[in-house]
Amino acid sequence: MSGHVLQVQLTAAYGKRAVLRDLAFDLSAGEALGVVGSSGAGKTTLVMALLGLLAFHGGRSTGKVLIQGKNLLRMTEREARRIRGRLIGLIPQSPMTALNPAITLEAHFQAAWRAHESTGNQALRLRLRQSLEEVQLPADDDAFLLRKPGQISVGQAQRVLIALALLHHPSILIADEPTSALDPVTQSEIVKLLQRLTRRHGVAMLYISHDLISVLELCDRLAVLHDGAIAECIPVRHLEQATHPATRTLFGSLPVPISVLLAHFAARMRPQSSSDNFPPRPHATLTRNGAAQTDHSWPEDEGIALSANGAGRYNLRDK
Amino acid sequence: MKRLLPVVLLLLLMLASMVVLRLSPWRYATQDRVSILASSTLTHPAGTDELGRDRLVRAAAALLIGIGGASAAATITILLAAAAGLLAAFSPSWVAAVLLFLSDGFLSLPWLFLLMIVRSMLPLTASPLTTAVITFLVLALLGWPAFARTIFHGARGIRSSEWMIHGRASGLTARQLILVHVFPNLGSLLLPQFFVCIPAFLMAEANLGALGLGVGEPIPSWGAMLLELDNTALLISTRWVFLPIALLVLVLLLLEFLTSEANAHV
Ligand SMILES: Nc1ncnc2c1ncn2[C@@H]1O[C@H](COP(=O)(O)OP(=O)(O)OP(=O)(O)O)[C@@H](O)[C@H]1O
Ligand SMILES: [Mg+2]
Repeated sequence: MSGHVLQVQLTAAYGKRAVLRDLAFDLSAGEALGVVGSSGAGKTTLVMALLGLLAFHGGRSTGKVLIQGKNLLRMTEREARRIRGRLIGLIPQSPMTALNPAITLEAHFQAAWRAHESTGNQALRLRLRQSLEEVQLPADDDAFLLRKPGQISVGQAQRVLIALALLHHPSILIADEPTSALDPVTQSEIVKLLQRLTRRHGVAMLYISHDLISVLELCDRLAVLHDGAIAECIPVRHLEQATHPATRTLFGSLPVPISVLLAHFAARMRPQSSSDNFPPRPHATLTRNGAAQTDHSWPEDEGIALSANGAGRYNLRDK
Repeated sequence: MKRLLPVVLLLLLMLASMVVLRLSPWRYATQDRVSILASSTLTHPAGTDELGRDRLVRAAAALLIGIGGASAAATITILLAAAAGLLAAFSPSWVAAVLLFLSDGFLSLPWLFLLMIVRSMLPLTASPLTTAVITFLVLALLGWPAFARTIFHGARGIRSSEWMIHGRASGLTARQLILVHVFPNLGSLLLPQFFVCIPAFLMAEANLGALGLGVGEPIPSWGAMLLELDNTALLISTRWVFLPIALLVLVLLLLEFLTSEANAHV
């Protein structure tokens, strides 16, 4: 189907131990799919396999990951490389270990930029300013970029990784528990940022989390990863109808009944989604799917800095 | 500051040795036949050996030759070990297996025996300088496998690190991965090994020299000078015979501090 930016069918194992068994799902342009599952269910394994990088994580994967109609797992390393970081952005699970301790933040950005762009430092500077503002890191402070990962807070590292993931305006964003390392305030800021990205810019997102509430807030559909496969995959607003025991157990862990939560989020977060069809949403720009587009920039006028929503900027360096 | 202290002291020792060599009227091989086995005198502050050669000058030269030779040999060894270790770490696992097998095999060779063979193959007319170069070169060529495995494991750690995986997930080219992610981490991987290697080679040279297999006469080396300690008559006549071994212990201690400091900062 052409509406899908990503179609996945995967089997993955570490040595003899199978972790994913013929797991399948797809992702439409601009859609946010939440993946929940208990610790060790294989969420990170899924992410690595999706990117064709499971081998570097010590595992093996077979199956297909269709992006623009091509199987990422069958591509040459050269072709796959050009997709990673450009069409698919990854926000990794552990912010502190995902950055190289020996080099500066600036070196990280430079490398990520040059991997897909031949334009020089000027263009990078411009983009870097933008993305640092997007994630609310000090954009004017050159000294900040000259720090090494050991010299910033975990929350700042998480933001750096988000900025890195967004650098090339990917059409698919994979977020592996992007808020797990953060305090509640920062968590909700990040969730809002991701929300803006998907709602406004039509970025399709695979949002992996332990935190069901943030999934309800962010996602259109919820997939429950259980026993190596997707046990159930249903639109968030129909969650009450979920039947699978694993899903019901998950709901049981919530502080309030799922129906109450859903009503809350329906009232607060989605006043616009009166039309019952997703993915087409009023703000979603669906132009960035599929076709080999060279211009991957997001519309300029839509500032996605968090401060725009009146939440107020808080000083990151106070943390 | 504390980190720099051993380095500064080592450099001072070397500087002092150079000053001694420069200012003293004696050369390391000059024999002062009127004062053989002398104790401390005005002309020979640290006395002379049984050939009447100035002990202070010889000890100073031995220190410079020892540290210089061991450092050069350590550089070669660590480069060889790094080449093998990195190649193994970043190659398919069968290449790693072959390389590590070779390196372990190398390690289990009876290398003292080999060294004797190599030294005995040298013609007796080989110049002392040649023997010095060959001694350290042999140490360098035999020493690398001991470090290859450590470097291999360190490099494996780099290769499977999360930031390396994140680099791949960001689409970095192989070249970028090496230049941006691997190289900046090599310093902290190789430097401690280098500092472990130098004292090991100093000891090895001293031991070989004491066996008569090291640097040849008349070039002064710690090994050759330690041979003096064999001479009981001499031991009784002057305390200055202990100068070379005291210097060796001091240098080894300083290098030990340097190593532990370097390790503490990795
Ligand atoms: N490199 C590895 N080698 C062997 N087994 C692994 C490896 N990485 C993960 N596993 C195992 O695979 C399973 C899935 O791990 P994975 O990291 O994908 O879980 P997860 O769902 O991301 O968990 P979490 O929520 O804690 O991050 C776990 O049982 C884990 O022990
Ligand atoms: Mg995980």
